[in-house]
Amino acid sequence: MDTERTPAASTQQLVRYAILLYWSIFWLFNIVDKAIGGAHFLWVGRDRFAQFQKYFESVGLGSPVVANLALVVTAALEAFAFLFFAGALVHELKRNVNAARRWSFLGTLFTLGTFTFFSIGDHWFGDRFELLEHTLFWFISLASWVVLIRLEAATGPLTVAAPRSQRTLAVSVSAALLIVTGTSIFRHNDTDFIKRSAAVAAEPVGDHIYKVTFPFLGGSTVFENTLTQFKAEHPDEAIQHIYTVPSPLRLKKADALIFYIVTEDRA
Amino acid sequence: MTERNAIRLAIIVFWTLFWGLSVADKIIPDVQFLWVGKDFFALFVKFFGSLGLKDPLFATVALAGVSALEAINFGLYLTALVSMRKRDEAVTDTWFFRAVLSSMVLFSLFSIGDQVFGDRFQLLEHGLFWIILLASWIVFRHIPIPAEHKVTWRRTPAARATIIAGVVLTALTSMSIWNFSEATIADVESPVEGVEVVDGIYKFDFPFLADKRVWEKTINAFKDAHPELKVRYIYTGPSELNSKKKTHLLLYVFTEPKAE
Repeated sequence: MDTERTPAASTQQLVRYAILLYWSIFWLFNIVDKAIGGAHFLWVGRDRFAQFQKYFESVGLGSPVVANLALVVTAALEAFAFLFFAGALVHELKRNVNAARRWSFLGTLFTLGTFTFFSIGDHWFGDRFELLEHTLFWFISLASWVVLIRLEAATGPLTVAAPRSQRTLAVSVSAALLIVTGTSIFRHNDTDFIKRSAAVAAEPVGDHIYKVTFPFLGGSTVFENTLTQFKAEHPDEAIQHIYTVPSPLRLKKADALIFYIVTEDRA
Repeated sequence: MTERNAIRLAIIVFWTLFWGLSVADKIIPDVQFLWVGKDFFALFVKFFGSLGLKDPLFATVALAGVSALEAINFGLYLTALVSMRKRDEAVTDTWFFRAVLSSMVLFSLFSIGDQVFGDRFQLLEHGLFWIILLASWIVFRHIPIPAEHKVTWRRTPAARATIIAGVVLTALTSMSIWNFSEATIADVESPVEGVEVVDGIYKFDFPFLADKRVWEKTINAFKDAHPELKVRYIYTGPSELNSKKKTHLLLYVFTEPKAE
């Protein structure tokens, strides 16, 4: 047991807690995601089995055993990264500085190892976006460890307390902003949530061509309700084709999904 | 091993693998058994084609040049790694610096290409790799990490409990992974069941494991199950129709009764 203890919690100490808490939660939720598997009520996560299976299938290793084994290795690396960071956080809370440093270093090594392992896979399977993502996480892990050890030696203001007048002003401004923003959000909900399911009117734009402009809230339910409504309103026409306007033809972020219904007269 | 050396080793290993695999990706063309990688030749041909340089010689020469620079980078990192193994710190620092400088030059060249070819996403990607490289060199060379900190593992009760907890956690997660795999692997080849959501229009919600073979089986199974219907049209639901990450692919099949 380490006996070195620091004085009362400082700003440096709080940032160290934040770093250790971040990585503990990061890895814990990665493990939970793997343990749950698939989308359920109150959890979507990411279907890693499907992702790994497709990766290995693409290199000719379609057996699910290969994907399972790769996932198990990943889960083991993540489990130990989580435990070391969680242990470091416990030691940090107990102000055992040296122990916290040792445990966080092991957590960082597991994190760097995990992201290096992932990067090899990204090169192998040709996924350049994931390579960028994993390299960024690799670097974030390295940088946060550097910050952690630099803060260990740093000295500075010991508290985060602000004068009473500043606190009052900050709370008042925050409360006012909260009321304005909250009112706006709830009003938007009242007027627009119906767009999550309501059918959209099809506007005729040419001979047997109708335009449907989707709201941002629209999903498959709106699409299906729109088609039901369209068929009811145009019983003498049959849908021949639906053309989805591709992104380059939309007005950047101002347009949501737009599609055209092309019809023909029923025989 | 000290913490300092462990971090320096992790940095060199990462970049050596990064460049080694980049070179391997250039050596192995296209998609092969046990290797997919990225088809950089196709990418370069399209890039140069967009400039009006349609002769494949331009893309070939450019790709050969890039590959040569990547091979040099890999060689420099490998030399730094070997020097580190020999515990020759000054030599390691020198070779690592050369490797980093060479890599930064290469990412700068890539960034020029991205601007010329108008690929802003790749520009962001290469810019991020460039800064990560620079930052990792600073950590490698200029962040003072006291040499007295060693990577140690004391056999305390807490350490033993952590090992046991790690093994148990891995075992539990593995069981879950295996169960999920067994429960869903059938999705790789099973046809998807359609639901009639509008009169004559059927929706198919494809699982994440589905691919083109599932599509073919689904359409054939649907036609077998509905001999009275004719498939008029198939509409692939755009991503906006999906519930974000929950849905993989939505397919709508438009049908009409077959003529007598």
